[in-house]
Amino acid sequence: MKKRGLSIRYKILLLLTSIPLITLTAYLVLALRIFEDDKIAYVFDSSSTMSGTMAAQIKTQLNAVLGTTKPIFQDYLSQYKFSPVANSIFQNEFNIEDIVVFTQGATGQYEKSAVLEKVPDGANSLLGTLAAQMPLYFAETDANGRVVKVPFHDDRVLIMERVLNDTKTKSTIFMVLVRMSESAEMFRAATSQKLYLISADGTVLFGPEEMPGQKIQSLINPQFLSDTGSKVGQGAETVKAANGADLLVSYAKAGFGDLTVVTTVEKAQALSAVQILIRKSLIFFGVLVSLTVIISLFASSGLTHALTQLFTATKKVSEGDFNVRVDVTSNDEVGSLADNFNLMAAEVSRLLEQTAEKARMESELQTAKTVQETLFPETRAKIGPLAIAGYYEPASECGGDWWHYCQVGNKIFLWIGDATGHGAPAALITSAAKSASTIIEKLDISPAKAMELLNRSIYDVSKGRIMMTFFLASFDLTTGELVYCNASHEAPFLMKKGADVLKKKDLVPLNEVNNPRLGQARDSIYEQTSIQLDAGDGVFFYTDGIPDIQNPSKEAWGEREFIKALIAANKDFPNVSDSVDRFALSFQSHRQGAALVDDVTFFVVKHEGLQ
Amino acid sequence: MSKLDVKMDKAADKLTVQMAGTIDEDVDFSQFNLSGNQQIDVELAGVKSINSCGIREWIKWMGTAGPAKITFSNCPKVIVDQINMVDGFLPSSGKVNSFFVPYYNDESGAEKNVLFRYGTEYTDSSVTPPEAVKDEEGNDMEMDVIEAKYFKFIKK
Repeated sequence: MKKRGLSIRYKILLLLTSIPLITLTAYLVLALRIFEDDKIAYVFDSSSTMSGTMAAQIKTQLNAVLGTTKPIFQDYLSQYKFSPVANSIFQNEFNIEDIVVFTQGATGQYEKSAVLEKVPDGANSLLGTLAAQMPLYFAETDANGRVVKVPFHDDRVLIMERVLNDTKTKSTIFMVLVRMSESAEMFRAATSQKLYLISADGTVLFGPEEMPGQKIQSLINPQFLSDTGSKVGQGAETVKAANGADLLVSYAKAGFGDLTVVTTVEKAQALSAVQILIRKSLIFFGVLVSLTVIISLFASSGLTHALTQLFTATKKVSEGDFNVRVDVTSNDEVGSLADNFNLMAAEVSRLLEQTAEKARMESELQTAKTVQETLFPETRAKIGPLAIAGYYEPASECGGDWWHYCQVGNKIFLWIGDATGHGAPAALITSAAKSASTIIEKLDISPAKAMELLNRSIYDVSKGRIMMTFFLASFDLTTGELVYCNASHEAPFLMKKGADVLKKKDLVPLNEVNNPRLGQARDSIYEQTSIQLDAGDGVFFYTDGIPDIQNPSKEAWGEREFIKALIAANKDFPNVSDSVDRFALSFQSHRQGAALVDDVTFFVVKHEGLQ
Repeated sequence: MSKLDVKMDKAADKLTVQMAGTIDEDVDFSQFNLSGNQQIDVELAGVKSINSCGIREWIKWMGTAGPAKITFSNCPKVIVDQINMVDGFLPSSGKVNSFFVPYYNDESGAEKNVLFRYGTEYTDSSVTPPEAVKDEEGNDMEMDVIEAKYFKFIKK
């Protein structure tokens, strides 16, 4: 038996679990990708909004400072000194610590011209601290008209504003030191999103602890910083940080000086919800697969239980036990399969019994055939002047034809008969005929009397159900007289020897008397007649199966060919053996091995001259 | 299932029976009642074959006709052979009105069945075959039977 592979139960289990697993995994991957893209878009959107809002707020606040200081600037420019009004305004603005005015001297360098300060000598202290940076600040202010710095990395913002006179020949720079505590705190306090206020060169003005005064490039190097000529005021991009982490960066230009608000969010942090989704999905997967396995086990056990029963049953069948039956109550295909298996097993069992019975019957038929063969005489004989040769072939194991010869006193009795139908029932009648003939032979009676006795015997055996045509003749060894009696059998042909070869007209049917078939009525009377056989004369006895011989195309030999073959076989009045052999050869050439439709029996006797 | 087609037409005391097909062990003649008729004409031209079991059934069936006068018409060779061979196939009260005699020409292979009618080609004691039977090409045809055997029933 072929080696068994993976059980069908596990195959079903594998199938039922792998399908949802594969489907859900594909769904999860797709959903995660969409979710991730959506989340990033959302983060970009919100951080851009945040950047824009903060940029607008910074711009508003700085413009507010300039709006407050503008009357002071105009006051100064009207008299090139601060009036008490300007000083009064300054004193009321608590956030503004110092205002220093620079005008160009004869050499074109900026020189301090006027000062407003909250703390005495505060302006000088400020200028002293920034002495090194001042030339750079002046240059930038000349170039840009306005500069914003956070020189002390705290909440104090230094605004430098250049104002030209009406003829644009003289420029005055106002330096305002203002404290923007709330704005600085907002940039410092941001948590999930980090906010930076940077200048064009990337210097962080406001931002988380430790970052003010640092270059933002030490953290990230966004594309928009390199693109100095870009007119884009707001944007977002993904940037890899110096520590290797991906950052979602959005920016918005403040529109005040070169200030830009930058927002950064760690991508991993932004997508933390995705990780949560994955974890929850995995838990859901686990639960789903577990449920699938449990349900599959229940579902497959019902199916595989029935299949296991069928497997066990077929195994028993393969071992020769056809009495096994499968008890499956389901109404599905497996149930039908089990029903069909039971029907098949029952049918095979029945066929086996039938085959055994058939084998037994064939064996019995073979025995019957062997027994029946003993009913027939030697096919070649010569008794006195009478030579005999015969041929017998049944259509099945047992035949309904029978022929025989025997010597009773100085007579040779010649018997030939054909029972109704053929096969075993007909063979039994021939057996009865043979038995009767054995007794009749000892009585030394005429063929007609012998036929009467034979008829009673057949009738008593068959009760009229099976009949037999019969022809019985006796040949007198001393006189050559042939006495015959016919019970509706095919009339034998007397082949009268003449000087010439045998012709159709030389065939004389021995049909001068005819009588009822044997077994037709118990008390039938039989008549006989006689003819004289001369030396050289022959008689051909036969049964009606000969003209019925068919070839493989089911074409019957027919009476015409039969007569032709008979004449051809005996045209030169050969000995009986040659006559039989020639005739048999003729019908065998027509038959070409086809099965017989009826038993074939014939024999030839020839009077070879009285001794 | 029987391969024999039997049609019966009863008019007054005369019964006409037409038969066609094969008479064998499958035939059931009991459904065709022959009794109570004075004259029965059996038309047999359509009978193709008959075997030994069919002969047994035929003789039993003919026995149910009682004293009726039976005539066989247009008997094919298979019927004539049985009439000649089997005692009782033609009932004692029976008579053959007409029968076919096969002719053939050995050279051309032509075959023909010639109808012999009572009173014309044969009587109760003699047969007068047509002087010449020719095939479609005008060739002489010879009788395809052993005359002594085939016409035996006429001389009974």
